[in-house]
Amino acid sequence: MPTAALRCENLVKKFAGTTAVRGLDLNVPAGAIFGLLGPNGSGKTTTIRTSLGIYVPDGGSVELLGSRDPLAVRHRVGYLPEERGLYAKMKVAEQLTFLAAIRGLDEAEANRRAHAWLDRVGLAANARSETGELSKGMQQKVQFAAAVIHEPDLVVLDEPFTGLDPINSRLLQDLILEQRGRGATVVLSTHRMEQVEALCESICLIHEGRPILDGVLADIRTGYGRNTVVVEYEGGGGPLTDLPGVRRGEDTGQEARLELDPGADPQAVIRTVVNRVAIGAVRLEHPSLEDIYLERVGAPPSPAGEAAS
Amino acid sequence: MNPSQVVKVARREYLARVRSRAFIFMTVMIPLLMGGYMFLMPLLFTSSGVEELRIAVVDVNTGFGPALGEQLAAIERPRLDVTEQAALPDDSESARQPYTDAVLEERLDGYLVLTPDPDIGARGRYYARETGNPVMLRDLERAVEATLLDRLVAGTGVDTERIRAWQRFDLEAVTVSDEGESAGGFEAAFFSTVALSMLLYMAVLINGQGMAMAIVEEKSSRLIEVILGAVTSTEFMAGKILGVLGSGLTQLGIWVAAVLLGVFYAVPMLSLGAGVAEFDLGTILSLELIFYFSVFFTLGYFLYSVFFAVLAATCTSTEELGHAMFAAVVPMVIALMSTFYVIANPGTAATRVLSLLPPLTPLVMLARVNVLSPPLWEIWLGIALLALGIVAAGWLAARIFRYALLLHGKRPTLPELLSVIRAG
Repeated sequence: MPTAALRCENLVKKFAGTTAVRGLDLNVPAGAIFGLLGPNGSGKTTTIRTSLGIYVPDGGSVELLGSRDPLAVRHRVGYLPEERGLYAKMKVAEQLTFLAAIRGLDEAEANRRAHAWLDRVGLAANARSETGELSKGMQQKVQFAAAVIHEPDLVVLDEPFTGLDPINSRLLQDLILEQRGRGATVVLSTHRMEQVEALCESICLIHEGRPILDGVLADIRTGYGRNTVVVEYEGGGGPLTDLPGVRRGEDTGQEARLELDPGADPQAVIRTVVNRVAIGAVRLEHPSLEDIYLERVGAPPSPAGEAAS
Repeated sequence: MNPSQVVKVARREYLARVRSRAFIFMTVMIPLLMGGYMFLMPLLFTSSGVEELRIAVVDVNTGFGPALGEQLAAIERPRLDVTEQAALPDDSESARQPYTDAVLEERLDGYLVLTPDPDIGARGRYYARETGNPVMLRDLERAVEATLLDRLVAGTGVDTERIRAWQRFDLEAVTVSDEGESAGGFEAAFFSTVALSMLLYMAVLINGQGMAMAIVEEKSSRLIEVILGAVTSTEFMAGKILGVLGSGLTQLGIWVAAVLLGVFYAVPMLSLGAGVAEFDLGTILSLELIFYFSVFFTLGYFLYSVFFAVLAATCTSTEELGHAMFAAVVPMVIALMSTFYVIANPGTAATRVLSLLPPLTPLVMLARVNVLSPPLWEIWLGIALLALGIVAAGWLAARIFRYALLLHGKRPTLPELLSVIRAG
C-alpha cells in the first residue's frame, strides 16, 4: 500500500467555458479519513470524478492507489455519488448483489454480503422490496452499502449525510469509522462541519477550484491559536458581536462565539463582556472548523451562521 | 472486454426487461390482438349481423324495379323485406322525401333508388340510416348486377349462371424457384412479409425503448458513475444490448408459440369456416424462410438496439428521449416502406441495392427471400455486410457511449460527437 491513497498534482478540469478545477494538489494519506470541504460549486465533485477516472483531466496528474490509470484499479474503489439513484424497480437485495457482482465478487458471495449489509443497516425486512418503495434515508443506506460491499481500499463518499436523521447520521458515522477500522482510506466530501470534526484527521478546503487550506485538522486549528471567546450568559445585554476587538461572531442570546481581531487581547474582551451581561460560563477556544471555513471562504452575505447548511 | 462482466450486465437488463409491465402487457396483448384480428375479421365480413331489413325499391324511369325486387327477395341473409315498389318521375330530394321520412321514422331501414344510365342500363343508390355494413352493401350490389345482367342477356340464349361462373375467374399466382413451385403471389408474400417485419419492429420497439429509458434513468440518477466504476462503457453497452436481445427473443418465442397454438388447436376447435381451415401455414412459412427470419431478426435486432442505446446515451432526461426516439425508429420505418417496393419489384437493380444497405437489409432482404429467392451469394453478402455494419456501429457507439453517458445538463452536439469518435 502506497503512503498516499490518492495524489493529485496540478489537476485541471475544464468544461465548456468554465474551469472547474484549476491546478489542484491533493494528498490523501492511506488509512485516513480525509475531508474534502468547500462551498457549493467549488469543484469538490469534479475533483472526485476526475480523480476516479470518470472525467479525463485536462491537465496535471492523478495517482489512485498507486496507479496512474484510475480505471485499472476501479474494483478497489467504492464511490457514493452526490446525486443518488438506484434502479427503482429492482429489489433491494438483488440490486446490492448486482452491484457487488460487477465489482468482481462471485454470485454466492455477493448475495451473502448483500444480506449481511441489509442486516447491518437495519433493512433486512426490506430485502425483497422494490428499491423505489423505500424512503430516501433508507435508499441512502442501501447506496452506502453498495459503495463498500466489495471492501474497497478507497471509499469516496460525496455528501453522504444529506437527508439522514440524527439516528441514521450516527449509524453512518459508525459505518465510516468501521471502514477505516478495516484499513480502508475514506474521502468524505461534505458541508457538514461537525461530521468533519468528528471523523476526519486531515482536510482540504477547496474554493473556486483551488485548495485554500489543507493539512492535519488538529494542526490547522492549533495554528489559529486560542482566538475565540465563548460566552454563556443569561438575560439581556446582547448581542455581544459588536464589542471592540471582535472580528466576527454569532450570538444566540444565550451563547456567543466571538472570534477576535488578530492582536486583540482576549482578557480585555472578557472584561468588557463580564461588565455587560450576567455570565454563566466563559472560555477561550481554538476556532471551530466552521469559523475557519467562514473566514477562508468568506462569510455569507445575509444573516450569519447559515453557511454550513 | 471481459465477457463475465458483459454477462452480468446482460442478465440484469434481461430480467429488468422481461419483468417490466410494458413487456408483459405487450407480450400478452399482441397475440391476443393479432388472434382477434385474424379470427374475428373473417367472421365480421362473412356475416352482416343483420337479420332482416325492410327496404323500398324506387325506380326512376329504368323499368328494372320489379326484376330487382325479385332478386332482392332471393337473398337469404339478411332477409330483405321489400315493403314497397314505387316509380318516381325524377330523382330530386323533394320527390324522395316521403321515403326519407319513412327511413327517419324507422318505418323503413332503407330505400334503393334506380336511375337510368346510358351504358349499363341503371345506376343504384342506397339511402339508409346505417350504410357502414360492407357485406350488406355487397349483397345489394350483386342483386342490382344480376338484374342488369338478366336484362342484358335476355333473349340471346346465354345462360346467366355461366356468366356468373366466369365472373368468379381468379388468376392464381405460382412462384417458381429452384426448390420447385409454390402457391403465392403478391398477397401471400405481402402479408407474410409485413407480419414478419412487424414482429421484428414491435420487438425492437418495445425492448429497445425499455432499454433506452433504463439508460437515461441510470444517467440521470448518476448510477452510471457507480456502474462505470466497475465495468467499461463497452462492456456496459454490450451487456445492455445482449440483455435486450434476450428479452426480444423471449418475446418472439412466446409469440411464435402462441401462433402455433392458435393454428393447431384454436382453429380446428373453433371450426371457423372454410376460409380459416384451408389456411395452410406451410405455403406461407417455409423452413428456409424461418431460418433466414431467425438470422435477420437477430442481426437486425442487434443493429437497431445499438441505435437505441446510442441515442439514449446522448439524452439527459426521459422527456428528451421521448422527443429523440423517432431518430432510432427511422431506419426501421424506411426499411419497412422499402419492403413494399421490393415485394412488388423483386428483380430490379434498386431492390438489390436496397437489400444490401445494412440498416435496411434485415427487412428488405427478408422480403426478397420471401418473394423471389435471390441468389444465395446475394443473401450471404447481405448478411456479411449487415454483420460488418453491426461491428462498425458498435465500434462508433462504444466511442460515443462513454463520453455521452457521463455528460450532464446538455446533449452533446454533433461536432462534439465527431471529435470524440476521432479522438477515441
